[in-house]
Order: sequence, then structure tokens, then C-alpha cells
Amino acid sequence: MTVLVRGLDLRKRYVMGKDNFIDALRGVTLEVDEGEIVGVMGPSGSGKSTLMHILGCLDSPTAGEVWLADRRLDQLGDREITKIRRTAVGFIFQTFNLIPSLNALENVLLAAQYAGKKRAAARDAAEAALAHVGLADRHRHRPAELSGGQQQRVAIARALVNEPKVIFGDEPTGNLDSSSSDEIVKMMRQINHDTGTTFVLVTHDPGVAGACTRVIEMLDGLITNGESPAE
Amino acid sequence: MQILRNVFKRKVRVLLTIAGIAIGVLALVAMGAMAERINVMVSGGSRYYSDKVTVGAVNAGMFSVQPIDYDKRDEILAIPGVAAVSAEIGTILDPDAGISFGMPSILGGSDLAGQEYESFEITYSEGRALEPGESGKVVVGSDLVKQLDARVGEYVTIRGERFQVVGIMDRTLTVPDNSVYMGLSDAQRLFAQDIPDVYKTMFPDFDPADLVTSLVVYPTPGTDPEVLANAINKAVTAVQAYGPSFFQEQIASATRIFNYILYGIALIALFVGGLSVINTMTMSVSERTREIGVRKAIGASDGQIVRQFLAEAGVIGLIGGLGGLFLGWLVATVADRLLQSSNMDLFLVTTRLALGSVAFAVVLGLAAGLLPSLHAARMKPVDALRYE
Repeated sequence: MTVLVRGLDLRKRYVMGKDNFIDALRGVTLEVDEGEIVGVMGPSGSGKSTLMHILGCLDSPTAGEVWLADRRLDQLGDREITKIRRTAVGFIFQTFNLIPSLNALENVLLAAQYAGKKRAAARDAAEAALAHVGLADRHRHRPAELSGGQQQRVAIARALVNEPKVIFGDEPTGNLDSSSSDEIVKMMRQINHDTGTTFVLVTHDPGVAGACTRVIEMLDGLITNGESPAE
Repeated sequence: MQILRNVFKRKVRVLLTIAGIAIGVLALVAMGAMAERINVMVSGGSRYYSDKVTVGAVNAGMFSVQPIDYDKRDEILAIPGVAAVSAEIGTILDPDAGISFGMPSILGGSDLAGQEYESFEITYSEGRALEPGESGKVVVGSDLVKQLDARVGEYVTIRGERFQVVGIMDRTLTVPDNSVYMGLSDAQRLFAQDIPDVYKTMFPDFDPADLVTSLVVYPTPGTDPEVLANAINKAVTAVQAYGPSFFQEQIASATRIFNYILYGIALIALFVGGLSVINTMTMSVSERTREIGVRKAIGASDGQIVRQFLAEAGVIGLIGGLGGLFLGWLVATVADRLLQSSNMDLFLVTTRLALGSVAFAVVLGLAAGLLPSLHAARMKPVDALRYE
């Protein structure tokens, strides 16, 4: 298996004021292979979301290296990082984070357009992505007109539309009831099976963890089940 | 469409902002239309005076109704460089009319002695021009047709006398629109009515035919009217000659200051509207911080975020601008309609004013939206996503 996502001795310090800071990551090293579904678990404040944001290019580490395939990301400029966000990675959030004024199709289309797809190609890709998550008949619905599970499926379609190598999920089932959760978990597994897309999922949900090929445990900014070198 | 939907997500606030811009543009269009009206009138004057010398009474100003001696005409004709001299009367059409805003209606009379040198061309919508030496006939400016109930071939009453209308002038947007012209002798007779009786008894040989209020001097080809005006002032006493630059300096510059004041007031009003756009866009950006985070997370560049918010600010400016233009046009049209009875056109909404006002509102919206947009674009996606 080839390594897709790699973090080397990642550290993140949030400085609140003079002599007042939090070390959210204190030296995290991990590797995620292509095609894996990796769960990241741990109590609140353990640094799991920070880790995911850094690996997914939404935030930068204070120190350490971030790699996607054979490309080092932590030293890239804004422009290059934006390109990575467009095409190489996808995101799913706990609160779905769909744009409320846009309907389902437009939400998915937006990501395709940002990626620079031509109008017709973007539309085809968005329709295909919505069909993939079983919402071919909900194009015109605004987020407020969809159930939580349906909204999360639109978000998955949006993450999928540019065929990224890896999708990061921040508590993707955190706001869903158990049946919707199951549905979303099944869907992610199906996508992983169909397309080989890698998933890195921060979660509290044992249902999600159970579906993962591997689970990383975190506490106080460190990985506790093996991969981080001890301080 | 998405831009409009985003703009109108907070309807009341956005409508208030648009109203702020619209009122500013309304002020700009209304004030600008007044300035434009004055501009065309003044530029008509500049054109008229551009190639001639006007001679009037000393220290009485360029548009004096103070009489000068008709004999001065022969003295001026003797000066080298003078091609022709028209003797003219210019006075107020109706001395009993009260003082009103804008230009009073003019009664003009000329012997038309220099008409072959006249470059300011007046055309006629009906009928014809006056001929030299005609009496009992008038031509009527387009703004006075209704008031005088003038029709070619019919008679109108001017200062108690009846005159036959021989021509209706085309609209010039300057002085002739609001004027009635007649032969010199007719005008002299009417003008003499204004001379106090005391004066007539003091000078028993008083003759209306000696009265003129100005002499219009046409230079020979190649003669500079400014130089000629100086020559007249040196050679002829008791009169004052004005070259084209006098009109430019005295009138055009005064109206320019008036223009600045008008536009200044309007721009202040618009500036206030612009501040409300800044406020609205700042609120919109802070309310949509999470959305900005999402957009960046799914691949929006800083430039795309800036463009999105700028487009929204520009649309607010555009809608406000179009609304304000419509309101301004409405005010100008209704006010001119109401003032029609006093023969006054106060407003002129020109194409350049209309386009300029709307463009200005859009630019203002964009400028006001720039800071909030840049602020939005520079947010780190993870911070924006965390924002509650």
C-alpha cells in the first residue's frame, strides 16, 4: 500500500496572550495509506480536530511536516494550498455546512466551479455526485428543506464532486440520529469500496469507529495507540 | 441570481441600504440636472458671444437694460476691424411679472444690421425669421408658445400691443427659448414705456428711436474680438465693450462654482449612502463568516471571495443607483411640469448625467464593499469555520 497522507512530528500552539498558550498538538506523526478509512478518536480537547484541519490544509502547523502523496504541503503558499483544497481533498462537517441560500445542486456545483470545471462539465459532475448519494430527485431543495441525513449526503456529494484522493470528516454523524448515522456510515464505506477514496474521520461515534479500517486514539495532543513517538 | 439571492437574504436591511443609495443618487440626479440645465444655457451663451463684441452702458454690466446713445453706433462703425453693428434692445418681457427663480423672459429687438455675420444659428419649427425693418411682427421662443398662445399668422399681445407671429423658434436650450424678438423700432417703443415720465419732461426732445441697450459688433474676418473690444473701449467714450472672454470669465466661472456647490451637496448625500453600504457589507460578512470558511474549505480562492462580496456590494449600488435615477428623473419631470406655467425648465436629465450617476453609485458600492470583502477573503478557513 502507498502512503497517501503523512504527518511528521506535527505541533500546533495556539497563543492567546503573553505566557498564555495551548499546545493542541505536541508532536504527532502518522501515516494513512491509500484506500484506508481511518478513525481518529479521543476526548474533547485531545487535538483530533486540529490534526484533521492541518492534514486537510484548513490550518497550518506551528512545526512539523504535512505530506499528501509525495508532495509536502506545509510550506506551500496560499495559491497552491487553494488548489489542493479544490481537487485533492474533500471535507464533511458535523453541522453539514451547506450554504443555506443555495439548493442541493448549486451547493455541489459550487465546489466543481471553484475547481475550474467548465459549466456543463461541472453540472454533469454535480448531478452524478448527487446521484451517487441517492439524491438525484432533490436537486432543487434548499438545505432547510432536507433532513439532517439528506443534508449530510449533499455535503458528501460536494466533497466527492472533484474526485479527491482523500475526504476528511469532522464528526460527520455528530448531528444525526442513529438511523441516519448508519446510512451515512454505509455510504462512506460504499464510496470507499467503489472509488478507493481514502477517509480520515474524527468521531465520537462507535458506529463510525466500527466501520473504520483503523482507529487512532488521541489524548492531550498526542497519539496514544502507537504511532506518535513518545516525548 | 445567486448574488441577488444573497443580497436579499436580509431584506429589510438591504432595502434600507438601497434606499440610502437611492436618496443619494436622487440628490445627485436632481442637483446634476439643475447644473446640466444651467450648463447648456451657459454654453449657448458662450457660443453666442464667442465671435463678437457686445457694447453696453458703462459700469452697467454685460446684460444691462440701461440705455445708451444710438449715435455711438456710427463711432464704432468707424473703427478698423468692425464689419457691422446691430443695434439692439434687450429688456424684460413682462415688467409686472414677479421675481422668480431662473431666467426671466426676454423681450428683444434688433435692426438686424449685422445678421449676415451672425454665426449663432436659430432655426424655426414653424414660420420664418424676422426681416430687417419689419414692424408689427414677432418671433416667439419655444418656451413662450403656450403662455402667449402663439400661432404663426395669429396675433399675440405684448405689453398691451398686438403683434403678428411670423415664426416659432426651435428649442435651443438657451436664452432664445424664453424670448420674443421683434423689430428694433417696435422694441424701442415698448422700451420707452419703462422710461420714467419725469425724464421725458426733463428732456423734451426725448425720442424712443435713440434708445438702444446694446450694440452688437461683428468683427471683420481675421480680427480678434478681444482686441477689437479694447480698441472700442479706447476710442469710444461712455460705453463699455465686452469681448468673448468676459462672458467666459464672469458668467461661466460663476456658474461653475454653482455647479460645484450643487454636486457637492449631492456627493455628501451619496457619501452617507456609501457608509450604509459599508455597514451592510460588514454585517453581511460577519454573519456569513462560517459560509466564507466553507467556501474556502471547498476551494474558493481569496480572489473569488472578494469578487463574490464585491459583486453583492456592486449590485446594491446598481439597484440603488437605478432607483435613485428613476426618482431623480421623476422629481425633475414633475417639478418642470409644475413650473411650466412660469416658463421655466429647471432640470435637464442628460444621458451623461444618468449614466454617470448610476456608474457612480456602482463604484461607490464597490468601494464601500472593498474593505469588508478583503476582510472576508483574508480569513483563515479554520477560524472562519469555528466562528459561531
